[in-house]
Amino acid sequence: MDYLKLSISEIHKAILAGEVSPKELILSALKKAHEDKNNAFEYICDKEALEQVENLNENQKNNLLYGIPFVLKDNFSTKDIPTTGSSNILNGYVPIYSSEVYLRLVEQGAILIGKTTMDELAMGGTGTTGHKGVTYNPWDKTNSRLVGGSSCGSAAASSAGIVPFAIGSDTGDSVRKPASYVGLVGFKPTWGRISRYGMFPFATSLDHVAFFTRNVEDSATILKVLAGRDDKDSTSSFKPVDDYCSQLNANLKGKKIALIKGINDCINDTLILDTFNKVVELAKQEGATIDLVEIDNKLLKAIYPTYIVISCAEATSNNANLDGIKFGPRAEGESYEQIVFNNRTNGFSELIKRRFVIGSYSLLKENQNDLFLRAQRCRHLIVNTINNVLDEYDAILTPATPSVAPLISSVSSDKLSNEYLIADNHLAIANFGGLPSITIPCGFENGLPFGLNLTGKAFEETKLYSIAKRFEDITGLANIVAKEDK
Amino acid sequence: MKPVTKEILKESANKLMFDMSDEQYSALLEEFDTITKQMELISEIPNVDEITPMVFPFDVTNDYLREDVAQESLKRDDALKNAKDVVDGQIRLPKVVG
Repeated sequence: MDYLKLSISEIHKAILAGEVSPKELILSALKKAHEDKNNAFEYICDKEALEQVENLNENQKNNLLYGIPFVLKDNFSTKDIPTTGSSNILNGYVPIYSSEVYLRLVEQGAILIGKTTMDELAMGGTGTTGHKGVTYNPWDKTNSRLVGGSSCGSAAASSAGIVPFAIGSDTGDSVRKPASYVGLVGFKPTWGRISRYGMFPFATSLDHVAFFTRNVEDSATILKVLAGRDDKDSTSSFKPVDDYCSQLNANLKGKKIALIKGINDCINDTLILDTFNKVVELAKQEGATIDLVEIDNKLLKAIYPTYIVISCAEATSNNANLDGIKFGPRAEGESYEQIVFNNRTNGFSELIKRRFVIGSYSLLKENQNDLFLRAQRCRHLIVNTINNVLDEYDAILTPATPSVAPLISSVSSDKLSNEYLIADNHLAIANFGGLPSITIPCGFENGLPFGLNLTGKAFEETKLYSIAKRFEDITGLANIVAKEDK
Repeated sequence: MKPVTKEILKESANKLMFDMSDEQYSALLEEFDTITKQMELISEIPNVDEITPMVFPFDVTNDYLREDVAQESLKRDDALKNAKDVVDGQIRLPKVVG
């Protein structure tokens, strides 16, 4: 029996029944991590995980996460465990403190078995730009398809059956898009719901802690552990934490759900659209009211540029501390300015530099009003529009991605097409408004999964989980794991 | 808006304390052709300049002061742990003042 392919609640039951011990689970997860063929790991915590499992407090065994292995994206600080953000500029960096997310999970008895690969410093959506190279999609046996990013290693490790849940971060769609490509549940809560203390910042106004699980119930379980005020993160919310599992048995009767016409209109893959529409019909039969809502196409087309300008501009200041003097590899130079200049020139990859230049260009005195401030204004318009929809509806439902996982070799699409600007990038709407948003599996095309996405009102995670659980029941696609025959 | 040239891109990069190769600037200049068109999509939105810029997803107001309780601060050894050139408890850098 491979317990690592089960859900958190199933593994928990097996531990309580004495069918498997936490130590057996951890040894098995570590072995799988070493055999991983998807390039999912930056660092495997052999010593640390075994130490932790030996020191587990048996009095905690009723905790759902007791003895459960997990992974962290490599942008979460872990004391005494290397953390690089998959960037050469942080090679060899060992944090002296731990992120709040890590501490809360460990406190519950969950065991970190590895740090996972990512797009460099979380700035990318393909899973191809980290310093360890491309991370592969576990569903494709020929290693020719993207897993998506930036939380690529976490997505790969969970969908390959190594861990039942994996932590990532989501600034534009970095958990919810890869979740679609690997058949997982990918969730990001309301902005401020989970402390970001110790998570490397990329774009502070858009960054969220997010995570992958194999079903909706497990996702609600993880949120319950992670949610709540943390004085170390001034943006974390004081709002009380809900019991996010409390409405998972509710039905869709009386629920109002909005579809966005302009998004559906630019999905060119008919199988994805047909499958999505069938799910919508089944939801209607369960009593949901589902309406097609129109949003000005000009606003939808502006989502991606708005995201790029704001995120790249914020990234320039958030990464200013990476100077190679306090940490990271140190280059030569005759002055401290030259040392910093050389460290950053050598340490950042070309792709990251391009993003920084876009940010820097948007912030130039002559451009600030036309680019950066205008993008922030556009964000305001988009958020107002979406919040107006959510005043009338319980959730917005969309296809999560316009395709299954793309080929790594595929020529990049037309970056001015509606498919790229809208269908491929609309998930950033939830980051703009800080709204809770969840991707769950919707169907398969040629053996590859694709997802649907639901977005709800700020701090209404319990309702969103309740709706997502019914959609999970409709699709019947919970607890799916890629086959191991690479 | 400042027109995009190789020089402007280099200036933007140098402000952030890094450089790129000539080929990389050329490739980026080409990419900017698309980026500029994407950015122009924002300007096409009617009334976009009539709304206030959004800095955070929603207002977060902290109107409290924490208790004035002394907390342990970062230890010097920890602060220096990741620095590559440390002498006598300090990070060594080239002389700044002659």
